Amino acid sequence: MMSQLVIRRIGIGIILLWVVSVLIFALTQVLPGDAAQIRLGQQATPETLAALRKELGLDIPWYMQYVVWMGNLLSGNLGISAAGGATIESLIGNRIGNTVFMTGIVALISIPLSVTLGLLAAMFPGQLLDRIITTGTLGLIAVPDFFVAIFLILLLAVSLGLVPAVSYLSGTEGFWKSVYVLALPIATLVIVVSAQMIRMTRAGILNVMGSPYIEMAILKGVPRKRIILRHALLNAIGPIVNVIALNLAYLVSGVVVIETIFAYPGLAKLMVDGVQTRDIPLVQACGMIFCCTYVILILVADIASILSNPRLRHPK
Amino acid sequence: MTINRPGDLDFNDLSVMDRETVKSALRRGATRREVMGYLMASGATIAAAGSIVTGASEALAATPKKGGQIRFAWDVHGPSDTLDPILFTSSLDYGRGRLNYNNLCRLKEDLTVGPELATEWEANADVTEWTFKLRQGVEWHDGSKFTADDVIYTMSRHLGKESLSKAKVLVASISEWKKVDDYTVKAIMAEPNAELPIILGTFHFKVVKNGTTDFQNPIGTGPYKLAEFKPGVRSVHNRNDNYWNTDHEGPYVEQFEAFGITDNVARVNALLSGDIQMMAQLDPKAASQVEASETAEVFAVPSGAYPTISCMLDKEPGNNPDFVKGLKHLQRRDRILKVVQQGLGSVGNDQPVGPAYGADWCQAANDPVTHPYDPDKAKHHLKKSGVAGAELHAAEIAPGMTDICLMLQRECSKVGFNLQIKKVPNDGYWGAVWMKKPMNVSSWNMRPSANIMMTLAYKGDAPWNESRWKNDRFDKLLGMARAELDPAKRAEMNCEAQKLCSEGAGSLTPTHRAYVDAKSKKVKGFPRVPLAAFGGMEWPEFIWLDA
Repeated sequence: MMSQLVIRRIGIGIILLWVVSVLIFALTQVLPGDAAQIRLGQQATPETLAALRKELGLDIPWYMQYVVWMGNLLSGNLGISAAGGATIESLIGNRIGNTVFMTGIVALISIPLSVTLGLLAAMFPGQLLDRIITTGTLGLIAVPDFFVAIFLILLLAVSLGLVPAVSYLSGTEGFWKSVYVLALPIATLVIVVSAQMIRMTRAGILNVMGSPYIEMAILKGVPRKRIILRHALLNAIGPIVNVIALNLAYLVSGVVVIETIFAYPGLAKLMVDGVQTRDIPLVQACGMIFCCTYVILILVADIASILSNPRLRHPK
Repeated sequence: MTINRPGDLDFNDLSVMDRETVKSALRRGATRREVMGYLMASGATIAAAGSIVTGASEALAATPKKGGQIRFAWDVHGPSDTLDPILFTSSLDYGRGRLNYNNLCRLKEDLTVGPELATEWEANADVTEWTFKLRQGVEWHDGSKFTADDVIYTMSRHLGKESLSKAKVLVASISEWKKVDDYTVKAIMAEPNAELPIILGTFHFKVVKNGTTDFQNPIGTGPYKLAEFKPGVRSVHNRNDNYWNTDHEGPYVEQFEAFGITDNVARVNALLSGDIQMMAQLDPKAASQVEASETAEVFAVPSGAYPTISCMLDKEPGNNPDFVKGLKHLQRRDRILKVVQQGLGSVGNDQPVGPAYGADWCQAANDPVTHPYDPDKAKHHLKKSGVAGAELHAAEIAPGMTDICLMLQRECSKVGFNLQIKKVPNDGYWGAVWMKKPMNVSSWNMRPSANIMMTLAYKGDAPWNESRWKNDRFDKLLGMARAELDPAKRAEMNCEAQKLCSEGAGSLTPTHRAYVDAKSKKVKGFPRVPLAAFGGMEWPEFIWLDA
């Protein structure tokens, strides 16, 4: 049953990847100018444009370019960056580690933190602690991430000088030194993603708390703490895990602003650079990675919710 | 300069530009007495003038030290970063190029040329052949010898139809490069060009090793060896202790790390908190914030670079001369200089050559400007043109570009003319809007001579003749000046060309800007070549860290 689900999901994932690659290819054609035009910029002349297009393989129709790209991909070759001539592997290899490292640290801090705070809020609904947590998270959701980032920079880096203002790693730092250099973006992202996860945890549990079997447990005199941890939390895991998965996917693909402000070379900024330079092989590669991340994380979340909820194992 | 602050002030109280004025006067050899006289004429007391000159001399006189590490951050970087000189785009590319490579000739602060990999050069009588003697004993970073073959390979990459060079227009008049012997090369010209050594001093003509095709990890002859290059992430450059130039003690700094911080605010923060020592492209609005810091300072070099609005003369409404004349009279040049450029720059005269070009700038043709601010005249011309309204496509392709357009719009509405501003994104601007929409904006870096600049952007058949202006006399003057070796006669031709361009071309050029960057006060010794950010990116072998 479970293995069937996994196999089916992987199949759908592959089809999804193909659809995304076609969409990306088609959409980049709509943008004004191509890689040659952008690269030569103000210095373009018809003659150099033609020469560069030939060099980059842009002188053939776009569907043929797609076929060429697909052929390369199937033989395990991601291609050459149209913007600068480096291999796509080298561009991505530099940054994938950075992104995984930062996402990992943020997840390690924010997931336990938000589940705990969400549970605490759900245990005492309407009381002072709950009010502080719900109001605080609502406020943080409303504040844009770049504002949190700039505020933390001005306070902790420029005024107090505690941590660096830019997250610049030379690659030789040890683990703790890297965490220190990344302190500000990590703090910003923990604040931004936790707020949402806390609220979803609280809402998921309170939702379950209204169901008849919980009322039964209350009537039987089970302590509230035990009801929440044993009965409510397990049944609320499905939605909570899904929110966590979406937030993790966001950390991999959507933190362009944070990467820009802290000059941290990660994947999200790389894709934006790729779009700006019409570097189709690069955009495609990033698009594939992000798509895979979503497919895998959602799959894991679904498996987790099925495991935690026996009813989902036997769909009617 | 005007000094309007009462009481005594010293060197550090002056504005950036005034400090540079005093320093450059001293650098040019003015005596203490002369500079003090000038300051007192501007309203300074004797005591203040004395302390200003003392401060300036101290700033000039420190002795370079060796060692240390410098991190510098640029505003533009990404996967398109390249170490291939023919494709250099950003000033970050220029800087990395100067660290890794050398030119044949070096452009100096006054825009004359000095020797670098070439020791001497000479043209034949009708300037159709240039012979360059090459420096002997120079070694590439891998220890092999630099010879004429390297130069021939490098220069040939700029020639021919298949060439990808961004600078090929500049050397289109060369038909071939010939090796005479191992240390002599010859350029054979189809058309005379007296300015070839100047052109060869610019960024795209860095000399690469014979046969180099992979520019991910290239070697050079430059003051720093490449240790690491990851496009869009960073590069690391270690001092070349075997550097050929023994005229000075440099290169001084042990190691440079170059990377990009695209966000303007984040870049300033990184400098102020000491994470980096140099940052390119300071928003003029943030200049006062940097000036207030104890550790950092503004580094501004007045330049001939300019933002411009161009009306294409071959399209409606630019094909109506009265329309263009009317708009030219609506530019409040002083005000744009003061408000948009924060006083860092100079007034423009609707032609590309500004005072930073030194001897090439013709005062008689440009001061006073051809079309001063005059709403009445503007109204008259706009009315006469019969044009009811126009649309200007604007993108923020240079600092302050949009503000300049908005100021023009305001002046237009004051005389009852409707100028619509359509804001478009920077992304893809050069291919989709520039030289396509009838009114668009443009931005030019400074070129090393007035002739090169005017030939690139105003010659009738130039591919980048953005206003599509065509004037036979102007084109003829440019050609005559290129073939003329007598400076006085060239200056005369230059004057006439600038006057014609200012009167006739479709460009509205209210100001020339300065390159405004910022750095730690500890980094010293910058040359001030006005051709690009940070003193023309000539700093790698000269700057040092005062620990």
